[in-house]
Amino acid sequence: MVNALICLIPLCPLIACLTTAVLGARVLRERSHWPTIAGCGLAAACSLALLVCVARSPEPHRYTATLYQWVKIDTVEAGAAGMAALPDEGDRPQSSVSYKSGPDLEISIALRADSLAATMLAMLTFVSTCVAVYSAGYMHGERGYWRFFAFVSLFVFSMIMLVLSANFLQLYMFWEAVGLCSYLLIGFWYEKPAAVAASKKAFLVNRIGDFGFAIGVFLIWTTFGTLTFDAVLSPQRIAQMNPGLITLICLCLFTGAIGKSAQFPLHVWLPDAMEGPTPVSALIHAATMVTAGVYMVARCTPLFRAAPDAQVFVAFIGGFTALLAALIALTQYDLKRVLAYSTVSQLGYMFLGLGAGSSLGTSGAMFHLVTHAFFKALLFLGAGSVMHAMGGVIDMREFGGLRRIMPQTFKTFLIGSLALAGLPPLSGFWSKDTILSAAWEAGHAETHLAATNAIEAAPAMQGAQTRANVAAESEQTATKIRLFGAEHATIYRLLFWMGSFTALLTAFYTFRAFFLTFYGPEKIPHEAGHHAHESPSVMCMPLWVLSIGAAFLGLALGHLTGFFDGYLEMTLPGEGLHHATNWFVVGLSTVVVFAGIGAAWFMYHEPNDLPARVVALAGPLARLSLNKFYLDQVFFFMFVLPLRAASQLSRFFDWFVIDGMGVGGVSRLPAWLFGKSARPMQNGMVQFYALSMTLATAVLLAALLWRQG
Amino acid sequence: MQNQFHILLLMIALPLMGAALVMLIARTGIEHVRRMVFTNVVLSFVLAMIMVLNYAPQLKDAQNQPHLTQMQSEFRWLGTVAPGGDIIGPDIRFAVGVDGISLWLVALTSLLMIPAVLVSWEAIQDRPAVFYALMLMLQAGLVGVFTAQDVILFYMFFEFTLIPLFFMIGVWGGHDRRWAARKFFIYTFAGSVLTFLGLLFIVLSHSWMADEALEAPQAAVAQGPQTGAAAARHQHMTFSIERLTREIPELVATSPASSAYWLRVSPWIFAALFAGFAIKVPLFPFHTWLPLAHVEAPTAGSVLLAGVLLKIGSYGFLRFALPLTPEACWIWFDVIAVLSVVGIIYGALLALAQDDIKKLVAYSSVSHMGFCMLGLFSLNAVGISGGLLQMLNHGLSTGALFAIVGMLYERYHTRDIEAFGGLTRKFPVMSFCLLVVVFSSIGLPGLNGFTGEVLSIMGMFSIHRGYAVFGLSGIIVGAWYLLWLVQRTFFGPLREPLAEGDRRNSTAHGGVVHAGGHAVIHDLNFREVCALAPLLVLFVVIGLFPQYFLNRMEPSVARIVRGLENRRPDGVHLSARPLADRTGVGRLARHGAAVGPSRPFPETASERTP
Repeated sequence: MVNALICLIPLCPLIACLTTAVLGARVLRERSHWPTIAGCGLAAACSLALLVCVARSPEPHRYTATLYQWVKIDTVEAGAAGMAALPDEGDRPQSSVSYKSGPDLEISIALRADSLAATMLAMLTFVSTCVAVYSAGYMHGERGYWRFFAFVSLFVFSMIMLVLSANFLQLYMFWEAVGLCSYLLIGFWYEKPAAVAASKKAFLVNRIGDFGFAIGVFLIWTTFGTLTFDAVLSPQRIAQMNPGLITLICLCLFTGAIGKSAQFPLHVWLPDAMEGPTPVSALIHAATMVTAGVYMVARCTPLFRAAPDAQVFVAFIGGFTALLAALIALTQYDLKRVLAYSTVSQLGYMFLGLGAGSSLGTSGAMFHLVTHAFFKALLFLGAGSVMHAMGGVIDMREFGGLRRIMPQTFKTFLIGSLALAGLPPLSGFWSKDTILSAAWEAGHAETHLAATNAIEAAPAMQGAQTRANVAAESEQTATKIRLFGAEHATIYRLLFWMGSFTALLTAFYTFRAFFLTFYGPEKIPHEAGHHAHESPSVMCMPLWVLSIGAAFLGLALGHLTGFFDGYLEMTLPGEGLHHATNWFVVGLSTVVVFAGIGAAWFMYHEPNDLPARVVALAGPLARLSLNKFYLDQVFFFMFVLPLRAASQLSRFFDWFVIDGMGVGGVSRLPAWLFGKSARPMQNGMVQFYALSMTLATAVLLAALLWRQG
Repeated sequence: MQNQFHILLLMIALPLMGAALVMLIARTGIEHVRRMVFTNVVLSFVLAMIMVLNYAPQLKDAQNQPHLTQMQSEFRWLGTVAPGGDIIGPDIRFAVGVDGISLWLVALTSLLMIPAVLVSWEAIQDRPAVFYALMLMLQAGLVGVFTAQDVILFYMFFEFTLIPLFFMIGVWGGHDRRWAARKFFIYTFAGSVLTFLGLLFIVLSHSWMADEALEAPQAAVAQGPQTGAAAARHQHMTFSIERLTREIPELVATSPASSAYWLRVSPWIFAALFAGFAIKVPLFPFHTWLPLAHVEAPTAGSVLLAGVLLKIGSYGFLRFALPLTPEACWIWFDVIAVLSVVGIIYGALLALAQDDIKKLVAYSSVSHMGFCMLGLFSLNAVGISGGLLQMLNHGLSTGALFAIVGMLYERYHTRDIEAFGGLTRKFPVMSFCLLVVVFSSIGLPGLNGFTGEVLSIMGMFSIHRGYAVFGLSGIIVGAWYLLWLVQRTFFGPLREPLAEGDRRNSTAHGGVVHAGGHAVIHDLNFREVCALAPLLVLFVVIGLFPQYFLNRMEPSVARIVRGLENRRPDGVHLSARPLADRTGVGRLARHGAAVGPSRPFPETASERTP
């Protein structure tokens, strides 16, 4: 019964996708949105039902529905064919002891639902439905209307499958599949060079992350001999493994998350991805796909728990990215890019929570993931609504004072901004507060240090040689962490303050964008023509639905009620999630939010020269922020250019050395060798021929005689 | 086990008869020729399907041993018949049969002929009958290579495939066709001569070792009557691949003398086999004939060259090197793995630098075949299955890619990447097909490329992490050059080169051409869609249900792996040990030293050499 429900969730969008793909161009045309809306809506209903089912399920609170076996290759055991081993083997086990050439490979496509997946699914399908409805208005009249909805439902299907994956390879498969959908949707307007370039960049940068992810998956396979979550993610099993190897696995997996979730240094694709249609930015590049990395790390919590070094690394990358992206967002003028950098920054928060190494942090990260999906999708859709009215213009310098023209967008955008800034009691406040509390606790708890030491003292399992490897590996990781000359707790303390400072910046840049767009004198770009107006109700309705979530979700599910923590505990058993509210953290974040909003109010609610003066004061810093810390340029010169140079060089090398000197040389060798030596012999002098004939005959005769004798 | 139906003989004969028939009806016009050829090709494909459906991977023979080579047909061919009816001396047979390794390659050949004929439909107007006759002969040759169960027969077909393609490139090719055809022929032929020496040496060594076993009664007694009986069969010199692969490991395992001898010679045999097969694959430094041949070949030639001909090389490794010289495989492991990895990365970098679409695809072949070799030489079940699947996938993906490039070329008569832009607007169907093919090549999960690549890399990863990781980095550059190609040609604002007709018009009208003035150029027509559709469907099928394909390979792969495992230098994971040990050199040398002096086998062998 529940298994059928689980199967139904991905099936709905899949059918929608196929229907749209087959019938869209000829039959459905302007009605192409209906299959997608229906599919997503149905999936959302099923997902909500699944939430309840999982909660009521017996231990261990999960359902698995195996669909079919994708690949099964058994390792061949030597000596099994009745062939004896080498007869005189002294130093090798006799043929009675068979050994395996590697682990078996068995991959099934299965759907596995637990509380973590159900939470993700509910959020995913709900936001998808809202975005699908919104898109029906936003994309109205576009060329390839049906294509858009086919891609969107393909994405929803892939993402659902990703969330429901039962093993690492399946996770990887759909991990790439959502990347494909992202590629197709960023490049939806394929005639726009910027969009096409952005789609390629997104795919390639993600591939770099996937490269690491794949290595992680392979390592898991060779280490554990299996890839299913149930077998790998058991703390008892992990405890038997080589801790250095676990750290390595975690770092590899995290590389994948860095790519997919746009963390430093692979965050560069996400702002460019804003070239795609805005509903895509809302759905894929804010609410769902980019959180796949967070979901994956949360899913692998048992692995990361066993690797404190990797955990600190995750937290550090998260905290650093949050700060970096927030700094960049301060000076951007493209409304969608401000939101994109804000997404990068908020994803950084989630990783900070995941890396905090406590159940509080993990559940905080997942909580933030859910609330963020609502308010960020809301903000993006709001920005899309603005863009729709402004004739496709998204530069905030071109418009302003829209609050009277677009009252509904204005109100919902305000709710979204307040939630993002983290104003109590809106939802962003609760989730961000949980993460910061977790960071605070990690920085002030002695237990974490103890755990680190325990790992170092743990007995190595597999002989002296591997122990040496472990030592080398963990030393490597350790130096990476201690580059900053600090113990883990110190790093967490630093990260807490970085996070709090980022909260200040978040409030500031969000309201900077808000005031620039909706306040000040009314300004409408000429692209909008004379018909700048509020968006149709099909677009406004999803905005209101999402803003309800953005406003109240935190209050309803936050740790006041303990609902969310309790639910996740079914998947991530913790050491007691019910913690006392940390009033210092709460107070600090509240103060910080008001400070940020206040500063934005002073600088931007009406045009004045304050921003210019601040920029002049900050000087090079402002320039750095405006140019995104020149990271695109740095990567271009560090990676793209050398690779292109290498490719041109190998082209020359192939032509000149391998084909020219190698193959050409060898092919000329016989002619040169034999031709040069044999040519003088045929000189046309009869005397020479006679002489050589006589001499040769003589030599031959002599040889014969000598042999006979 | 004789097969009454002789389906494989039929599959070789049908195209040959077709070729003869085509030449006979050549005068009746191109339309008849094309239809006749198409019918022939479809019939062959139907036969191939029957063959696949009839293949039973789990079939056991009377002794309850797996019976892998099925649908055999065998006839005496060359050999001196003694009065008793037995054959004395060389016993060369016309023997064909399929096992799990050749099954899919035969099917692939028959399948790819369909798009190959369909893309030549309009493109070949000059002497079409001859062209199609050559193509059918090539098909017969390829089916022959993959099904031959006799060394001489294999080699005959192996060289025979060169001839039709030589003429296809040399007569119907592009501007530099003669040079390309000559280089292609001489380069691959030079290598295969060495391969032939290696093959002959295997046959001779087998006969020496068998005689040795017969003359060493203690060995025969020790091993019981069965081996003795097996040895008694060695009055004549067998060329049967089946018997060689079964008996050589047996002989090597039972007799220390043979073992020492084989340890000494097999690396050299491997080297000889390597010469021909590595050029065919092509492995890294031996690849330069390939881009030239591809660029100059007509589309159908490229499709078959990339799709099937390259597989002969990797098939040769799998058919001869891995089962017959397992010790040498362990010794040569590092060399092959390094060459494959270099090929993956270097081929991808070269593809990145190309301006000609066809050249780009040709270099991508070098890269993808690197994955295939990496899988095969991981020397375990996962990797070999992956490598085998990768052969199939590369044939399908690259075949389709060349077909699409050919369709584009037919429309504009140029392959310059810079000349195109934004073609999606004009050719939505072609663009869709290209995207699917590109993503299959990139290795997107759910399509076929991923399955082969991931299994190959996983196989290698379980034996040596370093090579696997370096090989895996090829997926990044691989995605780069293909997506960049798509970006430049099919996306962005529309930009078209002058088509033939326009060029003529433009000179007539003072050289002015209006953008988008290509009234004559259409999207893919029904014929072209038919050429690509079966491939695209297979992409998805292999991507989603690879187990169906793996099931049929599995027992044959398992036999090879078992042979390799039995001759593995050590049971520990390779990557966990120091280099000298890992290559097996140290271990095998020690082994050879222990056995060598006790019975100086090579001396015996040289005595027997006339």
